[in-house]
Amino acid sequence: MLLLDIKNLTIELKTSDALIRAVDRVNLSLREGEIRGLVGESGSGKSLIAKAIVGVLNKRWQITADRFNWRGQDLLNLPYEQQRKIIGRDIAMIYQEPSRSLDPTAAILEQLEEAIPDNLLDGPWWKRSYLRRRKAIALLHKVGVRDHQSVLQSYPYQLSEGVCQKIMIAMAIAKNPKLLIADEPTTTLESTTQAQLFRLLASFNQLKGMSVLLISHELESIARYTQSLSVLYCGQLVEAGETAAIIKQPYHPYTHALIKSVPEFQPDLQPKTPLYALPGSIPVLQHLPIGCRLGPRCPNARKECVKTPALDRLQNHYYSCHFPLIGNKDT
Amino acid sequence: MSTLLEVKQLHKTYRKQAGLFRQRSVVALDDISFSLDSGKTLAIVGETGSGKSTLAKMLVGIEKPDHGEILLEGTKVQISHFRQYNHVIRFIFQDAAKSLNPHQKIGQMLDDVLRYSTKQDTEQRRYKIRTVLKQVGLLDEHSEYYPHMFSGGQLQRVALARALILDPKLLILDEALTALDPSLRAQIVNLLLELQKTSGLAYLLITNHLRLVKHIADDLLVLHHGKMLDYGTTAHVFANASHDYSRKLINSAQA
Repeated sequence: MLLLDIKNLTIELKTSDALIRAVDRVNLSLREGEIRGLVGESGSGKSLIAKAIVGVLNKRWQITADRFNWRGQDLLNLPYEQQRKIIGRDIAMIYQEPSRSLDPTAAILEQLEEAIPDNLLDGPWWKRSYLRRRKAIALLHKVGVRDHQSVLQSYPYQLSEGVCQKIMIAMAIAKNPKLLIADEPTTTLESTTQAQLFRLLASFNQLKGMSVLLISHELESIARYTQSLSVLYCGQLVEAGETAAIIKQPYHPYTHALIKSVPEFQPDLQPKTPLYALPGSIPVLQHLPIGCRLGPRCPNARKECVKTPALDRLQNHYYSCHFPLIGNKDT
Repeated sequence: MSTLLEVKQLHKTYRKQAGLFRQRSVVALDDISFSLDSGKTLAIVGETGSGKSTLAKMLVGIEKPDHGEILLEGTKVQISHFRQYNHVIRFIFQDAAKSLNPHQKIGQMLDDVLRYSTKQDTEQRRYKIRTVLKQVGLLDEHSEYYPHMFSGGQLQRVALARALILDPKLLILDEALTALDPSLRAQIVNLLLELQKTSGLAYLLITNHLRLVKHIADDLLVLHHGKMLDYGTTAHVFANASHDYSRKLINSAQA
């Protein structure tokens, strides 16, 4: 059964004169135990989608969807309390910039203990606080922090970014979530710590069957760890499918450009030769082009591109482009 | 190619007051030597606290080395005379949006650089600003813009323009490419490579991003806790790194 099944998710920002459509009819689905990557540049709405799933967007954002199912239950139509209860029980999220998302005024122990729900502590109530402490220490060991004593007593500013990130993960997995959303978990980390973190997420995925939605703007770093991939551009879903298939043969010009701009995916590219790059830059939300939002930057844009392309599929590979790159392997 | 920059046995120790009379010293850099030819790129990689930013700061004269020398085109650089060589070495910071003055128009900002560091008159300065903007792929009218009117990639170009306007020979890029989006990064990388080809600029790239290093750097220097672990051509270091740490770093980028 699909864990998360979202169809035509639209997120709009209410402004004084118009509605700005930040996320335009995005489909997203996650199976149980799957690691899915969500790739897009800044401003493409990745974080908005994540926040919409967790339900933490404020009132100025208007969320609509044809289907927003979490294990068969439509989350958007549930009463608020029930919605919070389900999300609180099943979904955990790691935010960008861990050292800023932790409470600067509380020691790590306090914050970590707070994240452990009561029903996971089996023991009489008078042993609760002891068990809770034990559990907090165990969680830290699980995420690879060995020196728990000094870490638990520290405040976030005393710890490095990597350790803060690990604590965020410890807090997220404290309640054994079904789905973990990691929003750019590695941008502030160094390359050795990055690899460590991805391995950690992968091991939780394998050991506990936890699904992971991995959000990043760097395709190359997450391609290795994900089974399936969704590529966003400017709030529109441009391509989705199995990671390996997409990397091998992208159908959408944007994905194609993303892959070609990374030297790692181009083994026969000589060092110091120019990289493939799309001209121009990402449009700002106030001035979105109509139709396919890649239009003005797309190398094969034609007249039809002023209409938003529908999502097409070829086997398990979804793409939304009028002129997909099928059959011309050399481009 | 002539040697542009040579660094010999650079040391830097920071002293911290640990008690009333005691001092604790932190070795930031220990016996660093390398050389950089014009038209080449040297990448310095290492984790935070490995001393790579200290090294960059010393090259532009923000910090003073304890001992060791910095030779620029064969002559010894004296830190107190940084006005003599701040034309030659320019620095680009990590976050372009935060390192530009929000109150100043781009043209004004570039003009200031010329006014303080050269003896050109207004007409020459205006001409120079126009050429440098064109060089980095911006338009003339962009000189009337304020920083907030640019997008991320354009801002990085503005920062590049500010560095290039004095016709430097060496550009130090302190994590300048890390924060950019992939497609913009490819654009900037192309621009940098093209500039290197046409004007023989040398780059000192300080970064964490090893995949990019492999593509654009000629030489690679691995720093760890202020010590040089590996130094050599990029291909050589990638193929046979001699230290465990550098191997770990390289594996994390490749595996």
